[in-house]
Parts: sequence; structure tokens; C-alpha cells
Amino acid sequence: MRTISVEQELQRVSGVAVCMMLALGFLLFVLWRMQIGRGWQYQSSHEQQSVRRIRVPAQRGTIMDRNGERLAENQPCYGIAIYLEELRQAGPRGKVVDRACELIARMAALTGLEPQLARSQIETHLVKRKPLPLVAWRNVGEPAMARLAESSEPLPGVDILVEARRAYPQGALAAHLLGTIGRADAPDTEEDEEARYNYYLPDMEGRGGLEKKYNDRLAGKAGGRLVRVDVSGYRFDDLSVREARRGGDLRLAVDVRIQRLAETLIADTAGAVVVMDPRNGDVLALCSSPAFDPNAFSPAIPAGLWNALRQDPRLPLLNRAVDGAYAPGSTFKPFVALAALQSGKADSHVAFLCPGYFNLGGHQFRCHQSVAHGRVDLVRALEVSCNVFFCQLGLQCGVENIVAWASGAGVGRKTGIELDHESAGLLPDPAWKQKKYREGWWDGDTCNLSIGQGALLVTPLQMAVATAVIANGGLAVRPRLVLGVREPGEAAFREVPPEPANRLNLDSSALDRVREGMRAVIHSPSGTGARALVPGVLMAGKTGTAEYGLKGEHRQHGWMVVFAPFYEPRVVAVMMMDEAVSGGISVGPRLQKLMSGIFALPDLQDGG
Amino acid sequence: MEAARFMRRHDWVMILAMLALMATGVLFIYSAAYREGDPSTWMKCGKQIVWGLLGMACFFVFARLDYRRWLTMAWWVYGAGLLLLALVLAPGIGIQNFGARRWLGLWGTPLQFQPSEWMKLATALVLARYLGMPGRNLWRLRATAVCLLVVGLPMVLIVKEPDLGTAMVFVPLLLAGMFVAGIPVRTLATLVGTGALLVIVILGIVWVPEKLGWEETRKEKAARLVGLTAYQRDRLTVFLDSKTDPLGAGWNKAQSQIAVGSGRFWGKGYLKGTQNILGFLPRTVSTTDFIFSVIAEERGFVGSAWILALTAVILVSGLRAARLARDKMGRLLAVGIMTLLFCHVFINIAMTIGLMPITGIPLPLVSYGGSFMIGTLSGLGMVQSVYSRGIYGDEMP
Repeated sequence: MRTISVEQELQRVSGVAVCMMLALGFLLFVLWRMQIGRGWQYQSSHEQQSVRRIRVPAQRGTIMDRNGERLAENQPCYGIAIYLEELRQAGPRGKVVDRACELIARMAALTGLEPQLARSQIETHLVKRKPLPLVAWRNVGEPAMARLAESSEPLPGVDILVEARRAYPQGALAAHLLGTIGRADAPDTEEDEEARYNYYLPDMEGRGGLEKKYNDRLAGKAGGRLVRVDVSGYRFDDLSVREARRGGDLRLAVDVRIQRLAETLIADTAGAVVVMDPRNGDVLALCSSPAFDPNAFSPAIPAGLWNALRQDPRLPLLNRAVDGAYAPGSTFKPFVALAALQSGKADSHVAFLCPGYFNLGGHQFRCHQSVAHGRVDLVRALEVSCNVFFCQLGLQCGVENIVAWASGAGVGRKTGIELDHESAGLLPDPAWKQKKYREGWWDGDTCNLSIGQGALLVTPLQMAVATAVIANGGLAVRPRLVLGVREPGEAAFREVPPEPANRLNLDSSALDRVREGMRAVIHSPSGTGARALVPGVLMAGKTGTAEYGLKGEHRQHGWMVVFAPFYEPRVVAVMMMDEAVSGGISVGPRLQKLMSGIFALPDLQDGG
Repeated sequence: MEAARFMRRHDWVMILAMLALMATGVLFIYSAAYREGDPSTWMKCGKQIVWGLLGMACFFVFARLDYRRWLTMAWWVYGAGLLLLALVLAPGIGIQNFGARRWLGLWGTPLQFQPSEWMKLATALVLARYLGMPGRNLWRLRATAVCLLVVGLPMVLIVKEPDLGTAMVFVPLLLAGMFVAGIPVRTLATLVGTGALLVIVILGIVWVPEKLGWEETRKEKAARLVGLTAYQRDRLTVFLDSKTDPLGAGWNKAQSQIAVGSGRFWGKGYLKGTQNILGFLPRTVSTTDFIFSVIAEERGFVGSAWILALTAVILVSGLRAARLARDKMGRLLAVGIMTLLFCHVFINIAMTIGLMPITGIPLPLVSYGGSFMIGTLSGLGMVQSVYSRGIYGDEMP
């Protein structure tokens, strides 16, 4: 029989001990590699599975008028939210949904609100946005809030949620100017930094007007929240918050008082008004009628209302002052006069005989109601808006000169106002006609252009800029809507410098002659714009009437442009309306109210 | 005088290491079960302390009693163990938890215990008795065959439960016992070689069809050839490639690895192990099989090293007792029990860090649980008995 000795046994025990120690040492080595060597990898995968990034939208900046009156701001809007992690139950997801439904029903009974969430919506929320609170009601009125706050019933997981809602305290005032907002889409490109959020709470973004043009400034910078979730995806705790940075504020050149007055004056019709400071292009009022209430777009416009607005034949969404192009009619005549005088094709004593009509080829151009004005000079021709005079002056001046000078004053060109969707209008010339109709330019075309008819189209804002050229002595200003911007935390607005204006070299005697004619339009009893006369304010202006629509419908745009005070003009006003009898009759009295209103303002008195 | 004798009789280095492990266990069971305002956290800790006290009582009783008494009764203890294991498998008697039939109820009480705990000690006793019997010719193949049978029988029953992890523990027990007893190294090498070949074949049968993308029913059939259930096959597949099922069977492994790895050097702090608090480490296992992950996460590498160091102290003291033993049976018993302890620690930690398949065996003295605590401490008590009798012989102070 063979056995091993005790000695050998003891050696083997030691051998076993050594093996065990080696094995434990091996474990220690692996643990070292895992916990120290590659620990960061496990740490990041731990964070990846338990940390969620939630984007927190920033508040938009406010927009105010030149005197600090608020035009667009954020109002707190109360909602009722349920924190689902406090309702969680062991077991299937359906139980949490049941409890949430039951809680909503209880709160509905308490507050008198209609439950707004369907069961399926709660389920979707649980699947897709579990760490976020479930908003049961948005925009809850104060009575319901009070009833909820006063109830003694325990409501687990319920909290009041304060959100910012874009509001336009002046209602529809300056709606076309301010524009609208809508919920921004989440970016879907992977490269975008924003797309790295697990939960994307969208910003509101500007969809038109200044809200869109200045969106980057107004929108601010979104913040973020890091939330730790547990294995079921419920919010466990908040790790860190990066505060959202509020957007900057805008101060507009607009004066709410003038804007409101202008809007009431054309509220009953379709039309546009532009009031501008001719010295620097500050837009004091810019309105288009009919308008809409931008509050309806915040936070989201109901589909029915949106379709109604879009399909309305009166085009309430169109900003007529900037994006509408219309034949200017006789309001164009001062620029023909200016062109003739400036180009030396006529001197200041130029005069023509008006028998009431002017035959050119087979076509007859008539004065209004075929009245014979007799022998008229330039001042008289502007005063009575003599078509015969201007046909002949235009022919004498030549189309090139008219186009050159009118274009210099801004006709047929975008003004560069800070709004998207600006129409350039149309200033026709022989080249354009050749291209468009493959036809030569005839004298008849020159006559049509001279009296503001034919293919010529302008926007009310262009007319304001062009009129300002006459008022300020040759400066083609760029209209300015935003006077200053203020970043959050700054006390004062930083001024946005006016864009350098294009200066036309105008002969002062020519300018005086045209201005004199325009003054006579209002201040002479026989002037076409006599109805716009404001006692105590020396003004100059021009009326215009232009047919539009189908021939024979006899629909006419009525125009009137004015500037005042005559000697040191501070205000240019342009008013255009559809369905006018004529510029003088339909627009004149309204413009009179506008100008008297403007000059009755304490800070704008002294009509000189 | 009585107190001084008590002090001299025991190996206090080992006892202190045991107590330290048990205290660490209670501390981190609290952390793993912690949930604000939940009284069951304290309940769990309280129960664990009670079990620890009961276990220590068993420890001292077994230390006081002569281990040779158990060795003489070894075959009876072994037979009873087999009977209990058979009872567990009998339908209507064994209690099924989480899909495995491992527990027996104690009549008239809500307590349950695992006969496999009993069986581990019983097998160690029987092996020690058989191999340590004076005059046994270990060079005959018969001895090896008997040993294989003695260990194989309970293993098969335990695999049937199924409890693959516990069954695995019997293999090193057998090898260590045979090695120390003096079975020729050549025989042992043949055994190990055959075993390793078998393991490779089994893993291959799981792995190859997986790689070839066989249909589920065909894979099932292949695994059945080597006697694996679907559950066991799953676990093995996950071990071989944890990406196969990151949300199912692979979940525990991946989350446990993340917990251990993210602990870094110092850990996240007590009660701050987010893997555990957030529930990524499932609460059902975080106090039991995965308590090491909780410690490693909250106390980092320092905590891991602490557990390994204490285990090493116990193992070395236990094997020292084996060397001191005055008879071969006592020596083999101590080696067997220490091997069992070592296997539990090694397999548990290795599976926690992804070195071995998830088999569901607890960490001795640390994991939450009664039967295992009492079983482990009883075994250590026997080792203690070997120690004191090795030093003092039959004239115990």
C-alpha cells in the first residue's frame, strides 16, 4: 500500500493555500483594471443610462414702442402638472395611467375644468417623456387655480406649472409689423448640438414680421437640465440646471398713439398707412387693414382660424404697406415734375394748355371728368392734378429721365425695411417692356407713366420714402423700425444706427417749385387735397386715384401723401385705400384726422 | 478562569475577520435595501443581525464539540442530506422561488432552508472520512471512483433543482480533498483534463449554434443532448456574449459590471451607489448575490480589496488549522470547508465582474440570507474545532 507522508500532506495543504491566494490575487488584479483602469468607461455608460438632458426654452424678449409702451411681452400662464414619479406603482404601466386618470378626474371635479388628456395621451407621455411632468391643463384661469389651491384634499404629485406665454397687450395693434410666433420644430440633424437633448422642450420662434426678422435677438439661449432617472425611467433627482438666457428687448420707432389712430382711421376699409420721420426714416406707424390678432397664434393657432385667415379674400395676413404693390396714380406726378426740372428738359416756368384731353396716336388721355384746366403751369398742374400737363411734360422730359429720378427717390426698389416679404414694386422702362412683351416703348407708355398709371406699381412704404426725398431735400432714407436693442441685464437700449441714406443732388429751385405745388394741393381751395387741411399746420401733399381690377368694375385705389410741417418736415404720411371714390374725397378727410391727431400730440405740436 | 480558557481555545484572528465581514455585510445590506421612509430596510438588517448571532452561536457550539463526533456520523449526515435533496425535488414538498426548487419549509414555521447548504458540509465530512481513513489505499482506482460517486450524487440532485452555481462548488471540494489526501497527481490530472474537455464541449454546444444562427428549437435540442435546460443555456450564452440579450439575462451582468467599474478608487460613498439606488441593479439580488457590486460601487477598489483581504485572512487561518490538525480526517475536513468558502467567494466575485456566468451563489458572511449564514458559520465552527484540538490535543484547556 502506498500513501503519502504527513510531511507531504502539509506541503499539499500549503499548495492549496498558495493556489487560493493566487486566485484571490487574480481577482484583485481584474478589479484594479476594472475600477481604476477602465473605470471611466463604466462611469460614462452608467451616466448614459441614468442621466437625461432636458432642454429648457428661454423667454423671448419684449418689444416696445418708442415711448416704452409694451407691444409684445411674456405673460405667466398657469398650468396644472402631475409629477408621475410620485404616482408610480409596482406593476404594469397601466396602473400609473389609471392613477393619473383618477387624479385628473378628481381635479376636474374640484376645479370645474374639462379633462383634456385622453388615456392614450397619458400613455404616450409615459412612454416618450416619462421624466417630464405631465401637463394636465395649460392656461388655467384664476378661479380654477384658486379652487385647486384652497382644496384640502391631498393631491399627490400635483404641482402648479408656470409657463411663459407670448402676449400682445395691444391686441391687433401693429400685428403686421410685430408678426406672429409658433412652436419651433426640434432639429432633426444629428450634428446639431441641440439634438443631443433627450427631451426637447421647443422654443417659440418668430413666424413673421419683427418676431421673425429679429428672432435670433429675441429668442435668447435655451438652458438645460440634467435629470437622473431610475431604472424605470422616472425622474429621480435633478443633477444640474443651466439657466436659460432671456432674449433681448427691442425698442421700436413706432409710436403706439399714432399707430392706433392710423389703424382706427382705416379700420373700415382695406388699405395701408405709413407715417415716417423724413429726417431719419423712423417709422412712426405702419399699418395694414384688415388686420388680425397675433394673440390667437400663441401658443398655437387653431387650424380653423388659420384657414379662415388664409382664405379670407380681403387678405388680412398681407402687409399692404410693405408687401402690397399698387398703381400710385397722381401721387407719382411730383416725381415727374422733379425729373423734368432736374434733367433740364423743362424750366420752372414750363406751362401747357389743357383743353381737358390730350390725343396721342389713337388714344385720348383725359383730365378728371374731362375738365379743361386752360393754361397751367407746374404749380397749378400739381394743385389740380392735370393729366394733360403731365402727359406733355413727361414726353418732353423723356422716359429715361423719369425712370432715373424716380428710381433715385426709391420708386420700384425695395426700401430695405427690416421685414421679410417686401415687394419691390415695378418701375417700367423700355428695356423691361421689351423683355416682358417683346414690344417697343411708345409715347403712350410715357404718358401713362407720367400720370402714375400703366404698369407702374409702388408700395405705400416706397411712396413714403419717395415723398420724404421731397420733404427732406434729397435724402432717400431707409425706413427704420428698430431704434434700439437691449440685452438682458442691460439697463438702457443700445441704439441701432440708421442706415446711411442715398443722397440725391437736387436743385433747390426745382425742389421749391414741386413743394409749392404740393402745398397748393392742400392749402389752395381748388386743390385736390383741400379736405386734408389741418388748421394751424402748414402741409404739402398729393392725392392720387388709380383704377384696379377688371375694366369696367371701376374699382379705384385712393392715395394721398403728405409731409408736414412744410418748412421743417418731421412727418411724412402715406395713406392708401381700396374702394375709394378718389384720393382727395375718400382719403383726404381721413388723412386730415391723422395729421391733426399727430400734431395734437404734446410732443409733436408746433405745426410751423 | 473559564473566560481565559475560552479565549485561548479560539483563533481570534479568524473570528475577527469573520465578524468584520459580517458587519460589512449588514452595513451594505442596509445600503442596498435602502429606500427613504421604507421600514423594510431596517427589517432586513435586523434579520441579518439575528441570523449572524444565531450563526455565531452555531460557530461556538461546533467549535466546542469534537469534530470527530461528526466524522463518525458522516455517512448518516450524508444520507440524510441526500434524502432532503430528494424531498426538495419532490413535487408538493419543495418550495419554488424564482423558477428554482431549492427550499424546504420547516413544519409549522414560515422559515425555509436550503438542503444544499447541509449537503455541502455533509459531502465535506464524508470525503474527509473516506479519504482520511487510516489504511485506505488511495492508489487504487476504486478510491477515486467512490469519491466521484460521493460527490456526483448530490451534484446531480442539485443541478436538477436547478442550482448550477452550488453544484459547481463540489468540484473543487473533491479535487482539493483528493489532492491533499494523496491521490496520485496523475489520476487528478486525468480527471481535471476530462472535466475541462467536458466543459469545453458543453460551451461549444451552446456557442456554436448561437454563432451559426440556428433556429431556437434546434439550439434547444443540441443543449438537451448535454443535459442543459433552456435557463442554463441562456445563462451560458449570456456569459459567452453579453450583447446577445442586454435587456434580459445579460442585464444583471452588465449592470453589475457598470456598478463595480463606476466605483473607481474610493467609491461613490455610502448610500450613494446610484446603480443600486436607481434600481439598475435589481433589488431582488442586490442584497444577496450582488452585494459585492454594491460594496464595490459605494466603496470602490478600496472596498473590493477589503473584502478580498478579509477572505484571505479567513482562508489562511483555516488552512493553518488544517496543518495543525493531529489527524488526517480533521485536516481533510478543514481543507474541504475552506475550499467551499473559497469557491463561494471566488465564484461570486468572478460572476459579479463578468468573469464567470451568472450562477446565483451568495458571498459568504456578507450576503443577505439565513441558511447560508448558519451553514457557513457551522462549517467554520468545525474548522475551529480542528484548530483547538490540533493545538491542545484531547487535553483541551
